Amino acid sequence: MPKNSKGKEIAEIIPDKCIGCQLCVAECPVNVITMEGAVAKIDPEPCIGCGKCFDICPTAAVIFDKPRKKKVAGAVPRPSALDEYQGVAVFIEARDGHGAEVAWELVGKARELAEKLGTRVLGFLPGTGVESVAEEAISYGCDVVHMIDNLILGPYLPQTYGKALVQLCRQAKPEILLLGATPLGRDLASVVATQLETGLTADCTGLDIDIQERLLLMTRPTFGGNIMATIFCRNHRPQMSTVRPKVMKLPQKDSSRQGEIHRLEFEAPDGTLPRIIDFIPKAADVGGEDINQAPVLVVVGKGACDSQHLPMLEQLAQLMGGTIACSRPVVESGLLPYVRQVGQTGKTVAPKIYIGVGVSGAVQHLVGMQGTEKIIAINSDRHAPMVQIADYAIIGDYAEIVPEIIQGIEARVKRSKP
Amino acid sequence: MNIVCCIKQVPDTAQVKIDPDTNTLIRSGVESICNPYDLVAVEMAVRLAERYSGKVTVISMGPPQTESALRECLALGADKAILLSDRAFAGADTLATSYTLAQAISRIATDETVDLVVCGKQAIDGDTAQTGPGTATRLGYHQFTYVSEVIGVDLEKNTITVRREVENGSEIIEGTLPALLTVELEAASPGYASLPELVRSLIQEVPTWGADDIKGSPESLGLKGSPTWVKEIFAPPARTGGLLFDSAENKDQAIADFLDVFFEKEHEILDELWSVDKG
Amino acid sequence: MKEAFDVAIVGAGPAGISAACVLADAGIKTIVLERGEYPGAKNVSGGVLYGHDLARIIPDYVERNCPIERNIVESRIWYLSRDAGYSLGYRDSIFATDRKHNAFTVSRAKFDRWYAEQARQKGALIVPGTVVVDLLRSERGDVTGVLTGREDGEVRAKVTLLADGINSPLAALTGFRSEPKPEEVALAVKEIIELPAEVIEQRFGVSSGDGVTTEVLGAIAGGMDSVGIIYTNRSSISLGLGANLADFADYKLKPYELLEAFKEHPMVAPLIADGRPLEYVAHWLTEGGYDAIPELYGDGYLIAGDSAMLFNGLHREGNNLAMASGKMAAETIIEALSRNDVSRTGLAGYGKKLADSYILKDLKKYRKLGGFFYHHKELFDQLPRLATSAGREMITVNGVSKKEKQKIISRNFRRGMPVLKLLRLLWQGWRAVK
Repeated sequence: MPKNSKGKEIAEIIPDKCIGCQLCVAECPVNVITMEGAVAKIDPEPCIGCGKCFDICPTAAVIFDKPRKKKVAGAVPRPSALDEYQGVAVFIEARDGHGAEVAWELVGKARELAEKLGTRVLGFLPGTGVESVAEEAISYGCDVVHMIDNLILGPYLPQTYGKALVQLCRQAKPEILLLGATPLGRDLASVVATQLETGLTADCTGLDIDIQERLLLMTRPTFGGNIMATIFCRNHRPQMSTVRPKVMKLPQKDSSRQGEIHRLEFEAPDGTLPRIIDFIPKAADVGGEDINQAPVLVVVGKGACDSQHLPMLEQLAQLMGGTIACSRPVVESGLLPYVRQVGQTGKTVAPKIYIGVGVSGAVQHLVGMQGTEKIIAINSDRHAPMVQIADYAIIGDYAEIVPEIIQGIEARVKRSKP
Repeated sequence: MNIVCCIKQVPDTAQVKIDPDTNTLIRSGVESICNPYDLVAVEMAVRLAERYSGKVTVISMGPPQTESALRECLALGADKAILLSDRAFAGADTLATSYTLAQAISRIATDETVDLVVCGKQAIDGDTAQTGPGTATRLGYHQFTYVSEVIGVDLEKNTITVRREVENGSEIIEGTLPALLTVELEAASPGYASLPELVRSLIQEVPTWGADDIKGSPESLGLKGSPTWVKEIFAPPARTGGLLFDSAENKDQAIADFLDVFFEKEHEILDELWSVDKG
Repeated sequence: MKEAFDVAIVGAGPAGISAACVLADAGIKTIVLERGEYPGAKNVSGGVLYGHDLARIIPDYVERNCPIERNIVESRIWYLSRDAGYSLGYRDSIFATDRKHNAFTVSRAKFDRWYAEQARQKGALIVPGTVVVDLLRSERGDVTGVLTGREDGEVRAKVTLLADGINSPLAALTGFRSEPKPEEVALAVKEIIELPAEVIEQRFGVSSGDGVTTEVLGAIAGGMDSVGIIYTNRSSISLGLGANLADFADYKLKPYELLEAFKEHPMVAPLIADGRPLEYVAHWLTEGGYDAIPELYGDGYLIAGDSAMLFNGLHREGNNLAMASGKMAAETIIEALSRNDVSRTGLAGYGKKLADSYILKDLKKYRKLGGFFYHHKELFDQLPRLATSAGREMITVNGVSKKEKQKIISRNFRRGMPVLKLLRLLWQGWRAVK
């Protein structure tokens, strides 16, 4: 074990393991830990060797060999008031009289979590003209739907929806609240979490239950997707989480399912509300499809950024029943618009099939398509990261390969059709 | 018109890699940068301040070296920068962070009215996009997220009109000030500082405010004020490579092989794709 | 820009920052303009510094946490043929004790940043991310400052110090220095190979914190006039070689391929085995020597460091010449400013200081060496081959008598290089370094 100049056994931080969460900085009773760059450093001389930093570090980045039991952060008895909170709630985002698909995906997951906890699935449904959505919610798996059907809740405004959802939480007291990480959902979740002063974890890719502690374990990517973190919210309720569309599986709809619908009163919030003046729908462009919805994406990378060959790639996309997307350099070159960009600063997609043409697979791009089921990479560089992770990789000049692939697919499709 | 921008210094996550042998982050040599979304926010704020004759103050919560990110923003034309740094702030999740920022903005507002707060949509390390809305909620300001353009400000009527990028299009929305905006990357292009601006950013003083300066109550700050904690971290499940078809030797054969294998192995997905009746 | 300065320095490398430190210590208002994102971002060198020259500018550099990689306790020189070689090393315990930090390796990115920070703390204004595109001149033609590429980018200064490196576009633009001819310039490539500190210490036989430098001559670059280096850093090895730019053009060899071949040499490979390549950089080095040095000062300006072609190839000295010349330029400026005369005559002290110092004395001494190497390619192909075949013959135990072996060796030599030629080679070499 490391020692300082006075010979005292002290703690030391392994810089490459430190994720810069600063939990140790706050925990140190003698305030001898500082941040150097994005990494924590213990001043060896005044360190008293108490090991509290070792206890609280989530990534085992602290060297401290004195025998001690590693405690989970904040392992104090939970306030009993928390037992009042029961049920797994899902915010049902409604659009044009239907529930958004992500809401049903989350209801499916909520069923699984509720089963483990031995509790019920609650649907939280603020909106206008959403009676039929409440019934949809029950067929997808909600036991109870708490609905606020009010004209004020027509267009989405954080003030109105925020107040409504906070009201639902305070009345129904769920232990967990899940929301789809749509633009609306992310916006709303933060407002609600702040008002309820509870914990919110965004863009979770995994949800599980620690049954001993009766806690929701939320897993999400961080550091631009380079590292996964599992997070929990111990002493605050509801434990809130947003989940991206297409991460959870869409459950089967069962119209015979029974459930309760509670209709609740609602008053508009005080003060003037913002006014929506206009809505401009997205211009339909090539393929006319939202890259988030397409089941197949043909992704144009820097190595295929050529207007001459773009029609051929579009043809491939269409043939496969999908649409065109691209990486950031292609947007920067002006070949395709920003709405087609996949990646950290673009869109996160999770198609069934991702065909990367000339895409090297930089970290910021991979982060935006990790949820893909099958990856096909067409690249001249066999060492490109995208090739390394692809399920199928074809090495060579895409300009020669793609036309042949198109031919081959057409031939096979013709054969299989009677 | 007084504008406050909240910025964050982040590691350049594009450069961060995982050591495949030890499953740890390799961060040596990775530079800290000002969050790109925040640079856009500051650029937009500076342009608004020019248009409506106002001032821009940039604030950031972080350890002492965050000062260099604040100076980057001064170089873009911000008038003043304040560093929020205190051990008590350490270990903060988004709830505690929005508390700290809101307290600081309230303190600024005691000296002069704050009309607008502009933040980047999200930080490229955490990617939560929660801090902006959280801060707006605490301050009781109207919030407008995913802003791609500020269409206009009416200082008489005290309103702002913005364009927001939502699910299927853009929304033009008008609300009263004070308001908080979170901005998309396309909202502005950070400019290239003039030499006098750059020199000023290097020598101007950046004061530091601690917990007392912002009247922060200990239970709401830092680790104590954070409901969420990290249980563990691990490397994402590595997708290992699959089958490789090299077209160098025999292109036709390679492609034919690929198609054979692909159609056979993935027939489930393909059936699903093509069974959808396109009629 | 409205604000004016006493001195504007172009370049935050060793020459520029050394000058800035000395000027700032004397309370002179100084601005340093650096084109890299941060000082060190654009600097590449073998990575050896000399304590003596650094101490003359910052005496307490160790206490100020100067980022030192390894303290050099042994210097080696190797003479290699393609697959064999001679090695000569000098190790002295005094370099670990009384003369510690006589020489030490540094990472230029870390060192330059630290060094510039020292200048900033002393009061110099360091402005990164800013390129100087031209010099400002008065009607009479004297230099009155610099023009940068940023808006409102004029910087007026009483004296301007050009310290912007070997590739100085300014020097070409302003005509202060003609574009170096290809045979005056070497192209050097370097690779940093990661190895754990303990492995380095074991392989080089040194204690923690100490290191070894190796200069390599011979047939390492396909017969081109070249020098190679192997320097130990804390947890990496810097491996590089440089050859004359004109030769690269003639021989049509690729630097990267030469480096790969060098790494595979039986004397090199074991030192870097299992190492992980971290970085690959390329850089120009001046080879011009004494005769390529331009006019080093004029009305309102001085030139220091690589920009002034102050580089001694044989003794791998570039950084210290840069530092020393930077210091001398600063001292000259301080005197000139106090007399209010920054004309050519007022700055003439610089020329004298350089001539009196070891800088110009050494360069003058070795002025013929570059040419000697360049015009005697046999040093880089035939001679190494002959030398190592002699060694091979001598060392092999195969029942042949020593006398017989000697005959074989001298026969080989005579065939490969007639005695007269060899003698003349040695004579000319001696004269070149005398």
